[in-house]
Amino acid sequence: MAQVSPPARGSASLTPEAAARRHLRFGWWSLLVFLSLGFTLEMLHGFKVGLYLDASNETRRLMWTLAHAHGGLFGVIHILFGLYLRVAPEAAPRRLPAVSVSLIGASLLLPGGFFLGGVTVYGGDPGLGILAVPAGAALLAVAVYGIARATAAVGGPAAGKGDALRRPRR
Amino acid sequence: MALRPLLPVAAIALAAVALGAAAVWTRTPVVPEERVTHRPIQAGADGYVSSSTCQACHPAQYATWYGSYHRTMTQVATPETVVADFDGVVVDDVHGEPMRLERRGDEFWAEFNDPGAPGPESERPRITRRVVMITGSHHQQIYWYATGHERALNVLPGVYLIADGRWAPRSAVVLHPPNQAVSTVDGHWNAVCIACHTTFPRTRFDTPFLSEPIERQAVDTRAGEFGIACEACHGPGAEHVQAHRNPLERYALHLGDRPDPTIVQPARLDPQRSSQVCGQCHSVWEFYDADGERRANSDGFPYRPGDELRDTRFMPQPMAQRDSPALAAFVERDPAFVTGSFWSDGMIRVSGREYNGLIDSPCFKDATDDARTLSCYSCHTMHKTPDDPRPIAEWAATHQVSAGKDGNDACLACHDLPQGAVTEHTRHAADSSGSACYNCHMPYTSYGLLKAIRSHTISSPSVAESVETGRPNACNLCHVDRTLAWTGAALEAWYGQAQPPLNADERSVSAALLWAMQGDAGQRALAAFALGWAPAQEASGTSWMAPYLAELLNDPYEAVRYIAYRSLRTVPGHAGLEYDYVAGREERVAAALPVLQSWQQRAAAQARRDPALLVDAEGRLMVDRMMGILRQRDNRPLFLRE
Repeated sequence: MAQVSPPARGSASLTPEAAARRHLRFGWWSLLVFLSLGFTLEMLHGFKVGLYLDASNETRRLMWTLAHAHGGLFGVIHILFGLYLRVAPEAAPRRLPAVSVSLIGASLLLPGGFFLGGVTVYGGDPGLGILAVPAGAALLAVAVYGIARATAAVGGPAAGKGDALRRPRR
Repeated sequence: MALRPLLPVAAIALAAVALGAAAVWTRTPVVPEERVTHRPIQAGADGYVSSSTCQACHPAQYATWYGSYHRTMTQVATPETVVADFDGVVVDDVHGEPMRLERRGDEFWAEFNDPGAPGPESERPRITRRVVMITGSHHQQIYWYATGHERALNVLPGVYLIADGRWAPRSAVVLHPPNQAVSTVDGHWNAVCIACHTTFPRTRFDTPFLSEPIERQAVDTRAGEFGIACEACHGPGAEHVQAHRNPLERYALHLGDRPDPTIVQPARLDPQRSSQVCGQCHSVWEFYDADGERRANSDGFPYRPGDELRDTRFMPQPMAQRDSPALAAFVERDPAFVTGSFWSDGMIRVSGREYNGLIDSPCFKDATDDARTLSCYSCHTMHKTPDDPRPIAEWAATHQVSAGKDGNDACLACHDLPQGAVTEHTRHAADSSGSACYNCHMPYTSYGLLKAIRSHTISSPSVAESVETGRPNACNLCHVDRTLAWTGAALEAWYGQAQPPLNADERSVSAALLWAMQGDAGQRALAAFALGWAPAQEASGTSWMAPYLAELLNDPYEAVRYIAYRSLRTVPGHAGLEYDYVAGREERVAAALPVLQSWQQRAAAQARRDPALLVDAEGRLMVDRMMGILRQRDNRPLFLRE
């Protein structure tokens, strides 16, 4: 594994290593929470709980399934992001604290919004908790943009021979 | 070499393409409705958008409607919708020569005697036609074939009885005079059935149906949707859909309590208008005049949920319209207009016309405020509610009665009887069938679908009405072993009802037996049903019933025979009886005789000795008396227009 070489560009308060630890920790815990949610949903299926399975609760079922899927995927994204920061700390986003917070915020708001949207439903419309989803999506866009921009900069002509993403020759 | 790493990717892509191609190749091509030319089609117009549009926002309501029999009132014939086996089947149970059924891929074909040709059924030419549509999915399936003339349909000579898993001639699934042909003309579905088996029906004949030979008429029949769908009760949905594309508008409705002005919600209509939503189909009605019919044929039926139904339709109420010139005019054109659907006092006697019963009920017509006015929604619900624990299929199969409305609570919501006062009112044990409001005030006095149906005119038992109209009263439909005199004495003692004059038979012979042997075909059908009704068997015993039900196995009317057979199988010792109600007379007699003989053998030891049941003190059947009563049977032809 490549040596971590702090500090990252433009980051005075959050080092890539600290961010990596944060996202690995958040990712694994997030996975645990949302896989547990998945397990709970399967139990609701198994015991044919009307609150979840009745035709009148189709929207709730959709919302909670979306919460489970998004939460689980976000957990994986955090883990990958944490590993990315460990492997290529010099490729960390320019505004790492903002990107990190945005990604964590998105991970709370998106699946959380879906979950809360399923608590109270109005026919085919979810409850007001769904309003958290677009906010989370906006934060996700900010985070993904920040990461994408950083990887583009590393992989571009400016990276030259010091491209940290290139596998070293043996 | 450089391409080598791409090989696995290319292989996966190729496999995916091959799978996709196979899926497309093997699927049945779906022909757009607009390109279907041989049958009526589903096409939206006038703001009708179809249930598939409603589904997205109202999944729960859609799901419960989808599980109901309203949805499947009319279906296109497909392997998924056709219940009967068409795979090389020969059906003997039709009039004329046997009907031959055949599957051709996903298509259903039948060869049969042309019902549209003149002459005796057995001499009509054979034709082979494709079955394209179905009506019914609960009790029966009626199959419609493409006549070849534009979108006109006609009906197969046999009807499939789902519960029995058998075919029967069309005349044998309705209460219809024997040896009279059932009307069968090309275009029948397009002109008649479409009205209540589709949503937003448009007959679209260029000239009125039957005004000239069908071959000369243009038949471009369309419906907004086959079956009774969302917009049949809520009205056209286009404006509602458009208005609620905006989520802010939707949430304003969700979080507020103002009614939505863009769609009709029957539950928010007053009891009169909400019941008319059901009454647009569940009623006997006619167009006021030929112009009205012509407009409906070309533009669709003008009634929309929330409208006053009588603005566009004549609704006969023989109870209230005895001297109505309008009703008299209809009767002049169609002598059976009233007698085919109503008892002689004007109470509806056929199923599927419950609105006619409702509007003559005191709980409806005499109600003083909306909150205490009986409506269809007082007892039924079109969408199973979340608090109803029953599966959708069970709710649908029990006439969509609301949760908790299958007992006395339905009536006690308005008729406040203190605990303990029920017995005082009913004079029956509180937990007995005699204390169930429905059994006394909604007895089984309507006929339809080869069974008896509860009257939807709320009434009280009356011997005088039974004598005057021939309609069985609630008491004697349960106490099937008792005379009218017995009932009259009880009603006088309990409720002060004056006893009407009775003849000798009415004083001395069980009323149910008199209806079963002397009554018209409709009365006989109701009596046969009562003899198999569990509460009646519990109240009256069953040991004496077999001879009378065996007699009804040879009734001239097929429908009566069918019901008698079903009842007889509920009598102990006869569950396994083999009998075919459409078989020839000899075969039927051969099936009935052993029933009679076995009863006679066991009678001395088991049967009740009661002259009211025509069983003498030695336990023998009083055959002479029975034959004397049978000779007085009302043999006037009767066709009940269910």
